[in-house]
Amino acid sequence: MSAQIPISTFKPYRGEKARLARAYDYLILVLALFLFIGSFHLHFALTVGDWDFWVDWKDRQWWPLVTPLIGITFPAAVQAVLWDKFRLPLGATLCVAALLLGTWVTRVFAYHYWNFFPINMVLPATMVPGALVLDTLLMLTNSLTITSIFGGGAFALLFYPTNWPIFGMFHQAVDYHNSQLSVADVFGFQYIRTGMPEYLRIIERGTLRTYGQYATPLSAFCSALLCSLMYPLWWKIGKLFADTRYLKRI
Amino acid sequence: MKSLFKPWLMAVLCINVLSIFAVPSAQAHGEKALEPFIRMRTIQWYDVQWSTQKFNVNDEVSVSGKFHVAEDWPISVPKPEASFLNISTPGPVLIRTERYLNGKPWTNSVSLEPGGDYEFKVVMKGRLPGHYHIHPFFNLKDAGQVMGPGVWLDIGGDPADFSNTIQTINGEMIDMESFGFANGVFWHLFWGLLAAAWLLWWVRRPLFISRYRMLDAGLEHELITDQDKTIAKAVLVGVPVLVLALNAVTANQYPDAIPLQAGLDRILPLPAQVNAGLVNVDTLKAEYNVAQRAMLLQFSIDNRSQGAVRIGQFSTSNVHFMNADLASVNSKPGKDDVSNNGLSLSDNTPIAPGEQRTVTVEVRDAAWESEKLDGLIKDADSRLGGLLFLYDDVMGKRYISSISAAVIPKFN
Repeated sequence: MSAQIPISTFKPYRGEKARLARAYDYLILVLALFLFIGSFHLHFALTVGDWDFWVDWKDRQWWPLVTPLIGITFPAAVQAVLWDKFRLPLGATLCVAALLLGTWVTRVFAYHYWNFFPINMVLPATMVPGALVLDTLLMLTNSLTITSIFGGGAFALLFYPTNWPIFGMFHQAVDYHNSQLSVADVFGFQYIRTGMPEYLRIIERGTLRTYGQYATPLSAFCSALLCSLMYPLWWKIGKLFADTRYLKRI
Repeated sequence: MKSLFKPWLMAVLCINVLSIFAVPSAQAHGEKALEPFIRMRTIQWYDVQWSTQKFNVNDEVSVSGKFHVAEDWPISVPKPEASFLNISTPGPVLIRTERYLNGKPWTNSVSLEPGGDYEFKVVMKGRLPGHYHIHPFFNLKDAGQVMGPGVWLDIGGDPADFSNTIQTINGEMIDMESFGFANGVFWHLFWGLLAAAWLLWWVRRPLFISRYRMLDAGLEHELITDQDKTIAKAVLVGVPVLVLALNAVTANQYPDAIPLQAGLDRILPLPAQVNAGLVNVDTLKAEYNVAQRAMLLQFSIDNRSQGAVRIGQFSTSNVHFMNADLASVNSKPGKDDVSNNGLSLSDNTPIAPGEQRTVTVEVRDAAWESEKLDGLIKDADSRLGGLLFLYDDVMGKRYISSISAAVIPKFN
């Protein structure tokens, strides 16, 4: 640890020093933006993957379980750095915004222009409200424990209702050649994906069953519990990689 | 600078020279990459036809045909309990509008029965103009893709003309190309603006070095102001309330929303078309001569039908070896998956009704090598499979047998 500067002798930067410090801020911000666009987007694509890519994968059981659980990782790690070292309560929002930027670029250029899928078939989900809650809760409580339990829980619980205004309309029923399908299912049937047969969809599978036909709340609360554990885990990972040794020499 | 000029000039020249040579694009779907024993002994396609190979955007095109699910299904390949008849395309240049198995419409996956016979039809609609190599094929769960015969399709017209509307159960007509897009963009912009506002609120003031120094100096209380706290409290309460309110509005808007559908379709096989019992074929021996690229097959044929039959064709993995003596009936000149003289018999005379005869058939063609079927002898499971077609010219009937046998290689 560097020696703490006594409050009485602390002098804020002025003039050229202040300008240089501000230039450094912008440099780091731009680098961080591209870093998080690339790394978080890659992490998300490799783990959440098809659940976020396709409208006919966004089911009521696995999608609200898997997406927040993976989505809370980078926000927790970045918050650990930005809050602990700089008291900046924007780590989660920055990560989620960077992820969305990267996702939209990929959906438009790779999925639509390169592979010809209509963009409405590959609309991404958003986690912005959960991230705002995570940032504000951390700022107001300054507590890892409270943010883990309540912030992690809120991040998961808010995910499905946040996205229902976007995807609810894709769940209207269609009588498609004597089968009941949702509009989302019709997308999956009509717009041919060579490497994505219907049976590959991991939707409504496994022992995570409905209870009285209420599937989503069960998944969301399961995800909330897991997110409250995932959050401190990734906070610790963030702390592990947080290094301000160069700042101490300034 | 001068020293750098030369290498740069050389590099630019090299790139220009290389650009003269056209780089061919990949135009196949790896259909020869799968091990031969899987291609030969899983889905055995036949009579596959396209309604047309040249059409315009919005025009319909269909592919129909039959397939037999081999009885001698390889032990190393999971049984076809979830299978999906797909179309290999470079993206959705066509859309699939209808699909039928044994005359029944089906949209999900289906369980196929080894030994079962099926006929299929897939109806599609042109979406993007171009020249495309297309196959029907089966995605087999945990096994991979078994390709059907491929063709080239030419789609003409203007992509802007494409339209695709469907009707919901509530009677609403929706355009699949744009449905929900504007709404999705709106909500992403809405939440994106809130996120941007929160980020800008913090980014507008000095950040890293300044805040680090202040925190280090114990001035934490100056980094988070009362105004910051007030805004944070408003966000902490307001955002969840807004989310739940918007969710409730949407739930009221779509009260009949259904979950994604994930059932397995249940369609029984047709009455036996292959190995139907009237003409029984038992494979006694299969021997592959590597140097001659010839498969020697010995069959015991028991003709229990009313008429005399002759062997006309052997098909395996979408390659058709024809008996030249029956070429007038079966010859398909110009098709690279057809070997018109590929089949020769030890005894070509018709097998009379009630007669049981042992026949040696030589299937000789470079296709064994070019289609990478000769790789069979290097597989862990080196059994051959395929369909043997026998014809009763007088009665105009066709009998099909699905055959299989262990292959013995001859290297000299």
